[in-house]
Amino acid sequence: MLLILARRALTAVPILFVVSLMLFVALRVLPVDPAAMSMPPSATLAEIDAMRSQMGLDRPLLEQYGIWLNQAAHGDFGQSLHLRRPVLRLVADTLPATIELAVAAMLVASALGVGGGLALFALRGRRAELAAESATTVLMSVPEFLWALLFIFVFGVLLQALPFTGRLDASLPRPDITGFLLLDAVLVGRVDVLWSALAHLVLPAAALGLAFAPPIVRVLRSSLLDVYHDDYIRQARLRGLSEGRILCRHALKNAALPMLTLMGVQFGFLFGGSLLVEVIYSYPGLGNLMVDAVRNADLPIIQMVGLTYCVLVLAINTLVDGLYVVLNPKLRRR
Amino acid sequence: MTVLRAEGLTVAMGDVPVLRDIGLSLEAGQVLGLVGESGAGKSMLGRAIARMLPAGFGVVGGALAFDGADLLAMPAARHRALLGREIAFVPQEPLTALNPVLTIGRQFGEHLKRLGIPRARDAAIAAFEAVHLRDPAGLLGRYPHQLSGGMCQRVLIAMAFAGRPKLVVADEPTTALDVTIEANIVRLMAELQRGHGTAVLFITHNLRLAARICDDIAVLYSGAVVERGRGRDVLAQPAHPYTRCLQLADPPLTGPPRALYALPETMPGLRDAMRMKGCRFAPRCPVAGDECTRGSPPMGPRAACFRTELTGGIAAPSLQTQQHGVGMDNVLEAIGLRKRFATGGLFRRGGTLAVRGADFIVRDGEFVAVVGESGSGKSTLGRLVVGLETASGGRIVLDGRDVTRGGEAARRHRVATVRMVFQDPQSALNPRRRVIDLVTQTLEARGVGRSARRERGRALLAEMGLPPDAAGRMPHQLSGGQKQRVNIARALCSLPRLLVADEIVSGLDVSVQAQLLLLLARLRREHRFALLFISHDLAVVRHLCDRVLVMRSGEIVEQGAVAEVFANPRHEYTRELLAAARGH
Repeated sequence: MLLILARRALTAVPILFVVSLMLFVALRVLPVDPAAMSMPPSATLAEIDAMRSQMGLDRPLLEQYGIWLNQAAHGDFGQSLHLRRPVLRLVADTLPATIELAVAAMLVASALGVGGGLALFALRGRRAELAAESATTVLMSVPEFLWALLFIFVFGVLLQALPFTGRLDASLPRPDITGFLLLDAVLVGRVDVLWSALAHLVLPAAALGLAFAPPIVRVLRSSLLDVYHDDYIRQARLRGLSEGRILCRHALKNAALPMLTLMGVQFGFLFGGSLLVEVIYSYPGLGNLMVDAVRNADLPIIQMVGLTYCVLVLAINTLVDGLYVVLNPKLRRR
Repeated sequence: MTVLRAEGLTVAMGDVPVLRDIGLSLEAGQVLGLVGESGAGKSMLGRAIARMLPAGFGVVGGALAFDGADLLAMPAARHRALLGREIAFVPQEPLTALNPVLTIGRQFGEHLKRLGIPRARDAAIAAFEAVHLRDPAGLLGRYPHQLSGGMCQRVLIAMAFAGRPKLVVADEPTTALDVTIEANIVRLMAELQRGHGTAVLFITHNLRLAARICDDIAVLYSGAVVERGRGRDVLAQPAHPYTRCLQLADPPLTGPPRALYALPETMPGLRDAMRMKGCRFAPRCPVAGDECTRGSPPMGPRAACFRTELTGGIAAPSLQTQQHGVGMDNVLEAIGLRKRFATGGLFRRGGTLAVRGADFIVRDGEFVAVVGESGSGKSTLGRLVVGLETASGGRIVLDGRDVTRGGEAARRHRVATVRMVFQDPQSALNPRRRVIDLVTQTLEARGVGRSARRERGRALLAEMGLPPDAAGRMPHQLSGGQKQRVNIARALCSLPRLLVADEIVSGLDVSVQAQLLLLLARLRREHRFALLFISHDLAVVRHLCDRVLVMRSGEIVEQGAVAEVFANPRHEYTRELLAAARGH
């Protein structure tokens, strides 16, 4: 188990290397001039040229990459051109918010997905199955930003039940220990902060979760249907086990394997998918940082956020692979 | 005490009956064999007992009583309480009947807990010892995929007998296992059955096996019991012509060799059978008379037949003096042939030696058998000969030419000389092509014109005894036996010098097997080709082949003329195989 994780971590190094190179080259090829962007509008051409050579932008591309790589290896990922702060700091400030949102959304998606999958499976062969199946198809075709807007309209505007901007009420002090707001609220023992943070999380997490749940429903149901054709299910029935026990103890663990793969992929997508939802809910996460950076052609930020996504996806994949080995004994070495 | 009693039991799919008017009774401590070919409906009885008939099937008449209680009418909860406790089942496919993600200990423990047996761990270890499993304590922590098929079946048998049930239903419990293991499993079940006084319903297609272990036998044909009697009597003196024909279709392993009786055609399909009047066996029966097609024969003391007195007179055609004319030339010469399969990762040395130094020849027109249990390397040997695997060492000489290595010319020579018939025609035949195109694939590859191909294809099909309209059909429109004929026809299309056949008659019913064996013998007379016949069935080998190679763990431990090797086996392992096949 540990060996597998270690091996995965090792393979991650060259992947990260390749991704960083691709990011670097792609961003430098773009027709934007970071030197000009970082100077006030009144700067002269000569001043901009001086800035360009100071930033090293006049050197060959590979050399620039080498410089960047060397600095990155020393923990310096550069300064934001627009915000004039180290990008590492900026990402570190916003990443916890996005992770909090993604995890919450994944919890919603898993709960809805597993519940829905089981419900759909329970309806197999009945007349209601068709209706339930159509309903999942409809849900599947609604994108997350539509849910986001719909929820703002219903719960935020019509019912005025839940807040829909930011992470916390403006009147409350924001504890800053780990950056994970829910955790920090617990650490400082402020119930009102915790409550407010949770309330702010409900709508974006629900919008994202609802959009990611239908595929889980589908996959769980179809793998359950497959598993129920297997001999060991019949043999379990022939031993007189109850249907509930057969489902929980025998079928679910087998059917969970394909679902787990899907959820791993989805979790990776969630970090990208959260972008629109973050913008809609003015949620101060990685997505908003990215959108602002793109708008301002803030290349160091874009590069750093891209790398962060890459690390996150690799980490999730490793985690899923590990879980797979735990759940599927055939992958374990004797 | 009667444990199981069926009276007039009728199971139907819609309005088509699959079991008709079944009357059986099984006493405590007895073994009842239910024998029938595929499609006879023999598995339906087990499923009816479990109340797990396939969707669309239902019991439409009659009664099924367990221990005096009506199995079909009792509430579902009460029925379920019987399963595993009073009625236990041994499955056909042991490897898939255990949950792959749970340890043996978890699954066994769950069962013991349900049975209310205290100290589950000790009880499980005792149960595993009773079925002669080695290292029972270590077994508890292992997963099913780490066990062999035979070990899984022992675990499942231990599970079935754990609650001291009154009735055990075993549906083809040894079909998926090797011969040597089959004998052990059968002996084990008999041991437990006698020890616990359990009644066993033993469902099988193998009349010989049933006669060996069952007190009583019921023979099923087209959904109805056609003969019933004491186990040994049914095999020794069949009363129904069908049973007699089955007996004669089965090649004997001991005694003088005799010709096989091949029942014509196949069992009527369910819908066809509904339209039939009179005895359903009549169209295939060698002694049928006018009365047989007029009305259904009632069940007599032994058989449901009007002319049971004629049954004893049915005989196989006389054995033709075997003049195959084996030539002196070697079609195949294998010299020190080796095959190593790499195992594990890139950095691991070694691997498994599947074939370790095989030396043998096949002469022109000679039928040579390769026998051994699974994992002995016999299939790998066949695949090496046809070139599906590349040898790790040694040489293969086909028709005087070394084809072990070498480029395109060697490959062409090999393709022209040797053909392979695969075990499972279902997966060997492209499901989207018509029979006529399938059998002439070789010609297609050589660019032979369409009309010439068609002509050759029709001639081939006629030779195989397939109806002319089979040419235009798709594989799924054929029966199992017909598919295997197409499979053989394809290999024979361009008249190769050598045919390699991997288990081509295993898994088929005896009547179909007899048809194919007769076909191979006839084709051999007409076309003179050599055959490397890979099989685990020693009786079939004895009937068909001239010489035999016995393989164990990749080595040929004994080879010689079939008659000689079977009469005086020199190697310990050959003796073991023969003893297992004879049921000692």
